[in-house]
Amino acid sequence: MNQEEIILKIRSGGQTELGMIYEEYREEFLQWITKEYHLSSDDSKDIYQLTILIFHDNIKQGKLEHLVSSVKTYLFGIGKNIAKENLRKEKRYVPISQEKWLKENLIDEPSNPIDEDSFARARSALEKLGQPCQRLIELFYYEKKSIPEITLALDYKNPETAKNQKCKCMARLRKIFEQETVKNSNVINHESF
Amino acid sequence: MNHSETDIALVEKYFDAALSDTEINHFILRVESDENFKSLFEQEKALVGAIRHHGLRENLQYLKAVESNLQDNKHLRINSPVKKWHYFAAAATIGIVILGKVILTSFNQTPDQLFEAYFKPYPNTFEATMRGNSTATKRTEAFQAYEQGDYQKAAQLFRDLLKTNKEPGMLLLLGNANLILGNIDEAKENFITLNKDFDELDIQSKWFLSLCYLKSGDVERARNILKELGGTEISYAAKAKELLEKVN
Repeated sequence: MNQEEIILKIRSGGQTELGMIYEEYREEFLQWITKEYHLSSDDSKDIYQLTILIFHDNIKQGKLEHLVSSVKTYLFGIGKNIAKENLRKEKRYVPISQEKWLKENLIDEPSNPIDEDSFARARSALEKLGQPCQRLIELFYYEKKSIPEITLALDYKNPETAKNQKCKCMARLRKIFEQETVKNSNVINHESF
Repeated sequence: MNHSETDIALVEKYFDAALSDTEINHFILRVESDENFKSLFEQEKALVGAIRHHGLRENLQYLKAVESNLQDNKHLRINSPVKKWHYFAAAATIGIVILGKVILTSFNQTPDQLFEAYFKPYPNTFEATMRGNSTATKRTEAFQAYEQGDYQKAAQLFRDLLKTNKEPGMLLLLGNANLILGNIDEAKENFITLNKDFDELDIQSKWFLSLCYLKSGDVERARNILKELGGTEISYAAKAKELLEKVN
């Protein structure tokens, strides 16, 4: 499979394709990064998993359409940056908290990060949203599937129905978020007395 | 804070990348000058961020399941046709692959063999545990024990914790620990409670309940649940069939 095909496959695919890419470069990457940065096997795997997620996300978000180098070089470049950044911040290597790392590096804008309290409430609201709303909005905002693709994937009658459903799900999510905010401010008020 | 329907629609359009360049410029100016509008924008940003973060976490758990399956199957030759099994097993691990009746009718395996082939413990996606954390509470100790494969200890701690606070994630992991330990009846109870008392983890609870029935040889009940799952989660059923073709 050439590089264009790999990008195309990831863009239109799902977790199966993610797993295949993971296995394809795993051994070489782990051997290299473990030796280069004197990392434990667990720490190397943590970095490799983040590397694959960045590669995958860059393709899904449309940030990566063509590669000037090979996939391997691209992945090694990402891995090197993660390891170096961690060493720079911590002076010595400490295990990465992967979920926190994902928020700081793939969700937040460096100049305007999402407030931690709002983010926690948003996560809590999303957990309470339930299915199929959660899946629908994840397909739209994370996997960047188009409305016609979502119509097929979730078996909606037509794209218009899928689009309406998406708007309804977001409205419901906002409502739960607002309830969480009120609940939270009541707790704070109560604690201050 | 109250926001007009027009403003909500405008903010949604911004995050859906449905505004023209001129509209985006006006939008940014409005965020900078209107506090009420800015709060709506920040709220939507947090929500879209949380959705993306949820997707990333799910894929991270999927990669961890792939990694774990690779470790378990080190003896398998990389280029053998069995290779793609890893992805299938990993998907089953995180409860997203619904096999439906296809599996139960296509393979000449006993229910017990099918259970062994398809059961993989659900990963801990509910509580962050730090390696080498020496000040663990009972709660983190329970999740750590589960992650480290000490299912006996994890089950005991989860049972104690659930007496005071019923949490869906904990119930799911307790059910998994019980399945591994051979406490099938208790595992069934865990998944039935999870399904009955909570809105979330619906698919996962049904998936693992079907495996409980397989393990105890009750193929009919297993088949009924799998049929139901295959019928409701169309995207997953399609994915399962697609993967099944690749495995074959």
